[in-house]
Amino acid sequence: MSELALFLIRIGFVAVLWVFILSLLSVIRADLYGRRVISRIAKQNAPMLTAGSAASLGIEDGDSFDPTEIAVLTGRTAGTNIPLENKKEVLIGRAPSSDMVISDEFASSMHAKLVHVGPDWVLQDLNSTNGTNLDGKKITTPVTIRAGMTIRIGTTTFELRS
Amino acid sequence: MSNVSLTQAIPMLLKAVPRSRNFEAVLLFWVAGIHAFALAQIQLAVSQRMSWDMLYYWAPPTISAWILHYVLRKYVLNADGLLLPLAFLLNGLGIAMIYRLDLAEITRGGEDLFAERQVWLSCFAMLMAAIVVRLVRNPLVLRRFPYLAGAAAVVLLLLPAAPVIGRTFNGATLWIAIGDLSFQPGEIAKILLAIFFAGYLVSRKGPLSEIGSRVLGMRIPRAKDLGPILLFWVASMAVLVIQRDLGTSILYFGLFLVMIYTATGRGFYVGIGLVMMVTGALVASRLFGYVGARFDSWLAPFATENYTAPGGSYQLVQGLFGMAHGDVIGAGLGSGFPQLIPLAESDFIFAALGEELGLAGVFAILAIYLLIVYRGLRIANTHQDDFSKLLALGFSFVLGLQVFIVAGGVMGLLPLTGLTTPFLAAGGSALLANWSIIALLLVLSDSSLRRVKE
Repeated sequence: MSELALFLIRIGFVAVLWVFILSLLSVIRADLYGRRVISRIAKQNAPMLTAGSAASLGIEDGDSFDPTEIAVLTGRTAGTNIPLENKKEVLIGRAPSSDMVISDEFASSMHAKLVHVGPDWVLQDLNSTNGTNLDGKKITTPVTIRAGMTIRIGTTTFELRS
Repeated sequence: MSNVSLTQAIPMLLKAVPRSRNFEAVLLFWVAGIHAFALAQIQLAVSQRMSWDMLYYWAPPTISAWILHYVLRKYVLNADGLLLPLAFLLNGLGIAMIYRLDLAEITRGGEDLFAERQVWLSCFAMLMAAIVVRLVRNPLVLRRFPYLAGAAAVVLLLLPAAPVIGRTFNGATLWIAIGDLSFQPGEIAKILLAIFFAGYLVSRKGPLSEIGSRVLGMRIPRAKDLGPILLFWVASMAVLVIQRDLGTSILYFGLFLVMIYTATGRGFYVGIGLVMMVTGALVASRLFGYVGARFDSWLAPFATENYTAPGGSYQLVQGLFGMAHGDVIGAGLGSGFPQLIPLAESDFIFAALGEELGLAGVFAILAIYLLIVYRGLRIANTHQDDFSKLLALGFSFVLGLQVFIVAGGVMGLLPLTGLTTPFLAAGGSALLANWSIIALLLVLSDSSLRRVKE
């Protein structure tokens, strides 16, 4: 063995020990400051969608259908309907104050919301931990709901019906 | 509806394998790699080539650690994920260092080998830890017999002084031996004492912390509540006199003080306890030659009369020279001269590692101990149950204090004692006791999380 190789090995061993220890610090960091939720969805999803800000979003006009109720297909509240008439917004989440309560381990307390924009209903995820799926795809930006689309939050799926 | 059944299955799958267990598995791979690195480096440095011998020192402990990991997966799923890899890392570094000292011994033509024994003792200790996890899944069962634990601890502490089986090495009476098997009962006693203190203090913390008259702004406990602290001080002094070892008596008394302080929240106990302990140690150093000699070696290790005295500071000075040779990054595993330090494989393994890994390596080792103690304190902090809190605190503190006393002794900052470096030093009883402590901490962390979830 050359001197240089031995020297590198010798430095390397101490370095490996320290890399090991420092990598554990990431766990301890979480102890001290809590786990930070960095979400790409959070950045893309802002600004908050409200019933008034429709025009600025440039949501294209398509063949809109005029849903009157939310029909829950699966989950604990399967079979129930929530009327949409005269509503501007429907807040969905685990919090008891939500318009549509989803008692599911995978739902955040303020998980998503449906906003009445012009003739359409637009679905926005509210930076939930586990995301909101529309037709099997996780949504990252506000999306206009079309007829027959199913929305899934945790184990609950529902759709809009006219 | 297969979609739904899959989504319903997700919570179950996630519940089955919590993050800490998988993290632990990853860390175990990493640690096994570090051990292989250490052994390979030693072989390259000592004999310029690698041989399959290293498998003998690498594979059995690694397999044992994985068995322990499997048992944790099976019985205490939510236990802390860092304790096992950290303790296993230290254990393996110890084996590597002892193997390196063995190679030096073989070159010298000696036959005093320890590494093989250490490998099997480590395996045995880890398997015992697995059994402890299996048996003590609910730590509250330990609360049922505090006095029995206390009595057993006292018996174990006094055992080395018994006529036939007691043994004295290097002036300290810390061992018992039956035939060829020797054992250091004081190591097991520290577990039993922590159980005893936790059980006793949980039931008595009310009177200990609240009753008493105020003098000069301090609440002085009733004489009858001072009874236990006096009793325990006498017991520690008895250990000092009988076992001739200052370290052991400081370790147990320190454990007692910290646990009573935590249980009652009164600095008074710590103050009076420290005064009593220091007085006792000073008196003992005057009265008993062996304690005095240790003090002299500590205060003036380079003085000729201490250096040349039998059992004097020769060993300490060799260790200091070794660590000085190690410098910041160390001589490299296998490239130093740790074999020149007497008892480098047990009492002075810290100095041996200091020489070959340097200051950076010693700090890494201390950081590993710090992380173990930190995880223990965290378990104590998050647990809801007072008994478990005190027990976790006692275990982590006793490990930390032991490292402090040993490292301080080897570095010449404290008088040298007969305590062993946890997980690193050669010796079965210490490995058994420390792995059992890790097992109990794991069980405690699991029960703490289980409560939160229910």
